Amino acid sequence: MLQQRIQEYLSAKIGADDVAVSNLVRIPGGASRETWSFDARWPENGMEVERGFVLRRDPDASLLETERDLEFRVMDAVAGHGVPVPKMYWLESDGGLLDRPFFVMERIDGCETSPTQVLMDPRFFPVRAKLAEHFVDILARIHALDWRGSGLDFLGAPTDEAACATMEIEKWEAVVDRDALEPQPVLRAAFRWMRRHPPPPAERIVLVHADYRTGNFLCDSDGEIRGVLDWEMVHLGDPMEDVAWACMRPWRWLGDENIGGLIQREQFYKRYEEESGFSVIPEAIRFWELLGNVKLAAIFLTGARSYCEGRTRSPMMAFLGRNIARLELEVMDLMGV
Amino acid sequence: MRPNAIESLRAAQAALGEVIAPGLTSAFAVDSAQTVQMLLESLASEWDTAAESLSRDSETLRSLLSAAGEALTNAPAGNESLRPLVSEIEHRLRDDGTTSLMISELASRNGSLRATLESVLVTFEDQTGRPGSEKIDEVRIRIYKHLKEVAARGWSFWDVSSFRGRMAAINSADGVDDSRESVG
Repeated sequence: MLQQRIQEYLSAKIGADDVAVSNLVRIPGGASRETWSFDARWPENGMEVERGFVLRRDPDASLLETERDLEFRVMDAVAGHGVPVPKMYWLESDGGLLDRPFFVMERIDGCETSPTQVLMDPRFFPVRAKLAEHFVDILARIHALDWRGSGLDFLGAPTDEAACATMEIEKWEAVVDRDALEPQPVLRAAFRWMRRHPPPPAERIVLVHADYRTGNFLCDSDGEIRGVLDWEMVHLGDPMEDVAWACMRPWRWLGDENIGGLIQREQFYKRYEEESGFSVIPEAIRFWELLGNVKLAAIFLTGARSYCEGRTRSPMMAFLGRNIARLELEVMDLMGV
Repeated sequence: MRPNAIESLRAAQAALGEVIAPGLTSAFAVDSAQTVQMLLESLASEWDTAAESLSRDSETLRSLLSAAGEALTNAPAGNESLRPLVSEIEHRLRDDGTTSLMISELASRNGSLRATLESVLVTFEDQTGRPGSEKIDEVRIRIYKHLKEVAARGWSFWDVSSFRGRMAAINSADGVDDSRESVG
């Protein structure tokens, strides 16, 4: 049924009568939206064209309440600036076409995204250092991007460099206010702590990916990152927010202290400073790492509420809601208590 | 009556891992099965100790709230804004009489105590480090020590990956490790 409707949709978009859609499968990951992969084939100028697509459809309920057109527009805008992203094709805010709003983008084949595979599959061992360098370099490129010149000022910039932290504290405190189903003494205390210990003002307001980490990029076995994914939380803010998010313990998948399981912290900072021109200030990283853990806990709270209110039957939402304790542990460590 | 709840959960996990998952062909179905597997592991890890943990935790919370009330009462004179919180603590400690052993009742009682603790901790974060806050600082440290013990309980999927080293440090310290630098 979905396959037939996608076929009809593509026929209209491509302007070809006989579009054939095949291999439609739902793929894991990207928990904030349903992700589907499919192949399409159609005749064009006497030739047979075949292409792989990914469809990202709004779910019934999600970990995040975000606008899919924001993600689409940003990915489309950054593509021409040295940031690898899948090519964006169509955005549909009309929920009538495929039951819920969605967008369609290019499928990048021959790549891996799962952190388990990227970090534990022996194919990637020889290229880990190269992969780590690309990981840092692309982050620096995102932060170097002229967001005004790229038409991204619709994202809404903080009033000044010092307001970046306040805006994020308020944003995530509002999520906890809205979605917490039970008392959250650690998160509440952390918000108070963050207000008393703000970071230095941002050196400059930049485009912040806001979920830049191992597990959110597509890489091949040559160590090339061919697509940065999951831009749902993108906004304008402090570059240290992204640096700190990448450093967070939940993404140190191998259980050691290496950032993202890829690179030592000092090396990560050094290369980022060289590539971006920004200074990494440990005091700022501590603040943003703390905020990142609180933010992740808030995201889990949203998923838990969705599940408990019956808006989703996803076992992932139930499961993640039961994993906030370790984030609290990290939050208290970072507070130094 | 055997098998008990944990043994039954283990049977469900075994069936999922050894019979159902190998027969799945879609990556999304396999991923969902793994999530359910982890959800069952999380339930199994706390099944036997849930009532005991909630009950003990509530007793510790009562003790901490009592100490917090005392610290707030003895806060520097003139801090009248703290009085309503002292009243809230007194009310909570008076109105806390359930004797039911049902998990839902124990969780409800625990939740009420945690709600008051939340108010206390937020206030303490505002008060800490001020002149005359020594008693508050002392109780604040005790509260965090307890919250860290609670946060380190149970099973999380991160314990076999990202938090493996951190949890090993906690377990080797026979409790919550306090080896990390404290900056207050």
